Amino acid sequence: MDPLPEPVSYLCGDCGVENTLKSGDVIQCRDCGYRILYKKRTRRIVQYEAR
Amino acid sequence: MPDKETREPINNLTKQSNSLDNLNFDALKVLFKPHIESFDHLIEAGMETIFKSIKLVVVHPTTFQKLIITLEAPKILSPQKDGIAKTTRKTLYPFECRQAKLTYSGRFTADVCFKYDDSEAILRENFNFGQFPIMLQSKRCNLRDFPPRKLVSYKEEASEMGGYFIVNGLERCIRPIILPKRNYPMSTVRSSFSERREGYTDKAVVIRCVRADQTSLTVKLYHLRNGSARLGFWIHGREYMLPVGILLKALIDTTDREIYANLTSCYSEKYEKGKGVVGTQLVGERAKIILDEVCEVSKKFTRLECLEYIGEHFQPIMHELRNESHYTVADDVLKNYIFVHLENNFDKFNLLIFMLQKLFSLVDQTSVPDNPDSLQNQEVLLPGHLITIYLKAKLEEWLAKGKTLLLDEIKRGGKIGKIGEKFDFRKFHHVKKVLEKNHASGVGKAIESMLTTGRLATSIPLDLPQTSGLTLQAERLNFLRFLSHFRHVHRGALFAGLRTTTVRKLLPESWGFLCPVHTPDGGPCGLLNHMTHTCRITSFYDSQGKVKNYYKIKLSILNILIEIGMTQSLPKIFLPGPPEVLTVLLDGCIVGYIPSTEVEKVVAHIRELKVSSAAVIPDDLEVGYVPLSMGGAYPGLYLFTSPSRFIRPVRNLSIPSNGNENIELIGPFEQVFMEIRCPDGGDGGRKSSFPATHEEIHPTGMLSVVANLTPWSDHNQSPRNMYQCQMAKQTMAFSSQTIQHRADQKLYHLQTPQTPIVRTSAYTEYNIDEFPTGTNAIVAVLAYTGYDMEDAMILNKSSVERGMFHGQIYQTETIDLTELGSQAERSSTIFRKSNLDKGCHSIDSDGLPHVGQMIGPDEPYCSIYNEVTNKTRLIRKKGTEPAYIDCVAVDLKKHRRKANIRFRHPRNPIIGDKFSSRHGQKGVCSQLWPDIDMPFSGNTGMRPDLIINPHAFPSRMTIAMLLESVAAKGGSLHGKFKDATPFRSSVEPGSKSASLVDELGDMLKEKGFNYHGCEVLYSGVYGTELTCEIFIGPVYYQRLRHMVSDKYQVRSTGTVDQITRQPIKGRKRGGGIRFGEMERDSLLAHGAAYLLHDRLHTCSDYHIADVCSICGSMLSTTFIEPQKRPVRDIPGIPVRRAPRKVTCHACQTSKGMETVAMPYIFRYLAAELAAMNIKMTLKLSNGANVSDTGV
Repeated sequence: MDPLPEPVSYLCGDCGVENTLKSGDVIQCRDCGYRILYKKRTRRIVQYEAR
Repeated sequence: MPDKETREPINNLTKQSNSLDNLNFDALKVLFKPHIESFDHLIEAGMETIFKSIKLVVVHPTTFQKLIITLEAPKILSPQKDGIAKTTRKTLYPFECRQAKLTYSGRFTADVCFKYDDSEAILRENFNFGQFPIMLQSKRCNLRDFPPRKLVSYKEEASEMGGYFIVNGLERCIRPIILPKRNYPMSTVRSSFSERREGYTDKAVVIRCVRADQTSLTVKLYHLRNGSARLGFWIHGREYMLPVGILLKALIDTTDREIYANLTSCYSEKYEKGKGVVGTQLVGERAKIILDEVCEVSKKFTRLECLEYIGEHFQPIMHELRNESHYTVADDVLKNYIFVHLENNFDKFNLLIFMLQKLFSLVDQTSVPDNPDSLQNQEVLLPGHLITIYLKAKLEEWLAKGKTLLLDEIKRGGKIGKIGEKFDFRKFHHVKKVLEKNHASGVGKAIESMLTTGRLATSIPLDLPQTSGLTLQAERLNFLRFLSHFRHVHRGALFAGLRTTTVRKLLPESWGFLCPVHTPDGGPCGLLNHMTHTCRITSFYDSQGKVKNYYKIKLSILNILIEIGMTQSLPKIFLPGPPEVLTVLLDGCIVGYIPSTEVEKVVAHIRELKVSSAAVIPDDLEVGYVPLSMGGAYPGLYLFTSPSRFIRPVRNLSIPSNGNENIELIGPFEQVFMEIRCPDGGDGGRKSSFPATHEEIHPTGMLSVVANLTPWSDHNQSPRNMYQCQMAKQTMAFSSQTIQHRADQKLYHLQTPQTPIVRTSAYTEYNIDEFPTGTNAIVAVLAYTGYDMEDAMILNKSSVERGMFHGQIYQTETIDLTELGSQAERSSTIFRKSNLDKGCHSIDSDGLPHVGQMIGPDEPYCSIYNEVTNKTRLIRKKGTEPAYIDCVAVDLKKHRRKANIRFRHPRNPIIGDKFSSRHGQKGVCSQLWPDIDMPFSGNTGMRPDLIINPHAFPSRMTIAMLLESVAAKGGSLHGKFKDATPFRSSVEPGSKSASLVDELGDMLKEKGFNYHGCEVLYSGVYGTELTCEIFIGPVYYQRLRHMVSDKYQVRSTGTVDQITRQPIKGRKRGGGIRFGEMERDSLLAHGAAYLLHDRLHTCSDYHIADVCSICGSMLSTTFIEPQKRPVRDIPGIPVRRAPRKVTCHACQTSKGMETVAMPYIFRYLAAELAAMNIKMTLKLSNGANVSDTGV
């Protein structure tokens, strides 16, 4: 069996609270129950075309 | 307005937020009113009106007991979430629907009432009719009456105007279409009428009668060659013709003498051929023929006999009344199918007489036919009314289905419920059970699917010109395009296919109502019109926002009319006709007549009352006074109070006022006969004997909102203004302030918009600053490098790099696990990254991409893992250019995850992108020219942002662009916005002395610039002074959405068609552009044979075929695989393939095999021919002694 993937954090679309979800979790804000969550911006280095 | 729910601004942005509260979007909201008010009426009153007119009678086949089913108490709730979680708020807001791809709809319930004919008791049961889509900003919308600040807190635009629906996350609006004016008998000449039946002429009087519930039935009164007339009306989608005589007699108890007198009342021997005479001697003859037809031919004398006759003929088609007497059937026909806007038979009789007189006058050419293409005889089908009509049809269908279910159940005698009782028609709960099987929620579904497809799917004929293409997506490409969706009216899809262009003509009748400038060129030209910005549409609501009481309005109008000299039409009083008196029609009902000498006074009096604030007469009453004329329009006084008419404000000069108290609302019907002065410099060619009674408020009232934004459009050649209206709607602009909360498929966004320095009054009135569409670019008009030839333009590279015209395209991909893959796969898929491919950096551990990262073409961005099959599926980026992940939103749909991934495509200007000024001057960027090589001004050292060629002006005559350049230069020097409202010189008489050019030139002169806006420029390359002064100044430029990045197409080799092996077409699939016949011709003409061969053969379906020279066939050749490899493979040495051997199947030998180069399609042709039993043989020979090839 595969090891479980690491959790990813999301921001609630209504109250803005950070939620950390695993792959099987129900998509819902822990605080307000809102069901649209936004993924946080990546911490990885992002390079832009500087032309 | 202070609001607790609004979150407080984070820091001291108070000044900014104050300005949000100060913004006034009222003018903008008025533009959307027709849509919203019509829907409001449906919710508030229309639904009940429908319910009143729906009734279903079920008769038990054996006991003849009747069950009457009616509908009552309609209720539409505001949109709510179908909550699973208790903690969440229940109200559903539009922003959630857009993002989660939901439908913004509320629950629709109603009471179904059952009543048996032998009992008094009414049994009610509440039924759920499903989810009813709710129009935004309507009375059931959760955003209704929110102030701007609160709207913003609910993730809407501050100016959110509504007027559209959200269906599955898409914003859809209903397209208003033009219909014939209701309840007005129109003389029509159409050649198709004469083809109806033998003896018909091409002349008829047509009236579209509209019931209170907005459903309509068109009735036509045909003229026959023998002088008689037939009334054609529609029952169940078929037209039936009745002789008028029978109808006249059947409607009321009357005598032949009375009918004769009524019909001939419009003719008097006194007047020979005077002004306004409509009757001729022939009318009497025709009346005789009509009466003879009834008495002599069909032998009907009394009213009862006529009713009997009608009933007998219509009984077979009236399924409901099969067992009723003939009289009941006839009554039903007269009530429900003839002149349905009138309730009283007496009124119907009078109207029929009036229509006959009008018909005879048309035949005798004492009046002209009405033009069905003119706005005078048109109204508009509003969204709310369309839904009302469709809803009624759907409810009727539902009831009819219920009836068949009930009858089936009776016939079957099956068991009902758990207890297994035998079905009993008498038992209410049994009936209820059966009706519940007929799922009522389908009604809401039907409305929703009507909105998504724009199609009316009913079996009931609706008397509408088209049943498809009724809705369209309200695109937010930019604000002006969005707005135009709600201001346009379409003539109808029927006319789009017509070869004649008469319907597309711009007629003077539409002055002030439809914009002459704002119509597309090309296909829908003249069919798709836009309302002017002052044009409104009457609704069921009065100015106070209350639902109008038409009964009361009718009574008060009648009282006033009688007071001032109208004789009321009462039974047994003959209606006299013109020219002595004028007939008065109120909403298609003959109410009386007024002596023609009095009528002008009466009209003036009604208009006065209309304008006065004491609301006895509604302010939108249309007083259509058609005066007496020599063979003109049929005279009369036609009053209209109905909804969905066009109206617009003008000033009534007869009422003294210093403010806005004399503003009168007029309609297109009355406008034709009114004297309206326009401050246009002259007096419109008016003779002094017809003094103006009204005056236009402002000449710009004839233009639409978009046309009004063109500065000084009165100085441009008119087609240029039309082009600008088109291009304004294609501009890549600041489309939305809520991009972060939207999930549109494609959204264009301008990064650095500016407010124009030169603007019209409409710009401020409608707050276009909230959604600016362009940039003030410094434009030099000169031929500089040659790169500005033929409408190309040079952009300053440094300006672009500083951000000018920067933009992006946001594109959203929705990955819905409930819809992906096959039925079985759906239940077990989740977003997850596969553990196997560690190398895939673009996907995060949750199976979705990292936010902010770049995704190249064909790179995977999403991974879907199937838990059952243990397989991963990667979704790859389509297209040819890289994009950035802008946002990843996940939500839940039916317990499965759904992801909206928004990509950002950077779209900074490159060579080939399209730009335009606001004067229809479009051009393509040909070079991004380095700043150092741009010419520079001698005084200021400024370099232009943009260079256009002087040849753009002489033939196009866009003088306003030159004016704009000078004005913007002056405006920026003085630090002021310059007003560029057109027709200013005719409105403000003071400014006539100094011309506009003088005014603008002086502004420049004041600051030490050249009066004409020219400057000395130096060449950027040589540093020498240019030989002449260059016209340079800021012009507001728009970036159009047509960009090379979306359009370029290139191919060397690539995908080919499976059958023909020729290159495919289509940019998306990497296809090429067809090298067609004309291209071939040009190469032939040049003698470029090698190139031709290369294009059409080598680069296309080049093929080497094996042909058997013995039998001449190329289909019978086959490969023979060598049996065994003679030598074993030696590792390290490449495998040498044995040469494949080809043999001919037919000849059983490989002796005569030859290879021939040919297009593959030739081989395909041979195969196709072989399939048809035709053999094709090739005679092979060497090139030297060519003989013909035989088939």
